[in-house]
Amino acid sequence: MIQSDTTEARALEDELLVVRCQLGEARAFDQLIQRWHGPIWEYAQRQAGRDDAARDIVQEVWLRVFRGIAGLRDGRKLRAWLFGIARHTWMDHLRVRYALPMDHETDPDQITADQTPEDLRYEIATMRCQLARLPPIEREVLSLFYLQELSLNEVSQVLEVPMGTVKSRLFRARQLLRRELESEGVNV
Amino acid sequence: MSNNFNPAPGLPDPLSMEALQSLAQEQLSLWSRLGYVGLLLLAAMATTVVAALWITEPDLPLRTQAAFLVMTAIGLSWMAFAWWVLGRRHVMLARHGVVAGRMAVIFTALFLIGAMVAVYISVNPAAFAALWTGIVMLVVAVGLLLRANRRFAQLTERREALERELGAKM
Repeated sequence: MIQSDTTEARALEDELLVVRCQLGEARAFDQLIQRWHGPIWEYAQRQAGRDDAARDIVQEVWLRVFRGIAGLRDGRKLRAWLFGIARHTWMDHLRVRYALPMDHETDPDQITADQTPEDLRYEIATMRCQLARLPPIEREVLSLFYLQELSLNEVSQVLEVPMGTVKSRLFRARQLLRRELESEGVNV
Repeated sequence: MSNNFNPAPGLPDPLSMEALQSLAQEQLSLWSRLGYVGLLLLAAMATTVVAALWITEPDLPLRTQAAFLVMTAIGLSWMAFAWWVLGRRHVMLARHGVVAGRMAVIFTALFLIGAMVAVYISVNPAAFAALWTGIVMLVVAVGLLLRANRRFAQLTERREALERELGAKM
């Protein structure tokens, strides 16, 4: 109940910020930059792997945000929209599009239901160090879900794949992360 | 704000807060938008006058018709360019739309008055063509202003509702 209230308040704050930007309030854009520049930079740096490429991506992201925010119809989807732009910008820089096959043996609905709170806390704490070693697709989905705290639905919108695919990628990414940690002698 | 930014020595950091705020101001400038609105309106009026003369003047030599064709095409190209910039690069925010709408109504009203004077002074087809075009442009401008005002009011109402709702949750 408390978590859904927090999520609802966050969605309302996002929508208010978008409405103020769409009205043309200069201070709203300052707040938008202050609030989201850090997460977008982290995402770009994590995906690009290099500071110079990340700078180009982030600058292009903000250009697209300023030009496109007038057309954002649902302000509650601000974070999914922002990371969607970041992702598209990153993909444009890469100029490579690929997909991995889904894991059909695993029940996708059990993937995120099996986690305990202790599992989550441990994974977030060690995740930042290990993410750079993962392949781009797994790195991206972990970053969006755990570090940027997007919901499954929002991640699905950003990546433009079905929610089942998001769950499968999360499962695979966690498996890879666990293997990375176990190979270093860390008990997970 | 993150400390992950390392600007190259001697060069401004393109990702500092100040740089991004400056980029925002540049991208969201009212004056640059009004400039393109002015370009669109002037191109529309000039194209209207040229096209009206071309269509209504009888027995024009071929090279004169060619010149009118070229001038009309140039005018239409400027209109298309300004329209594209306003749709893709300098998209109108609500406040911008209201100011631009008022500007459009004033400009087109002045054009219409000029066309009415031209009709009064010399009753000729070109003047009538400019008059009717002026009426159409003024109607379109008034419609755009009404739509901009409506959008501004809707967003303002939504902002106030969200502020009340968030204030109640705190």
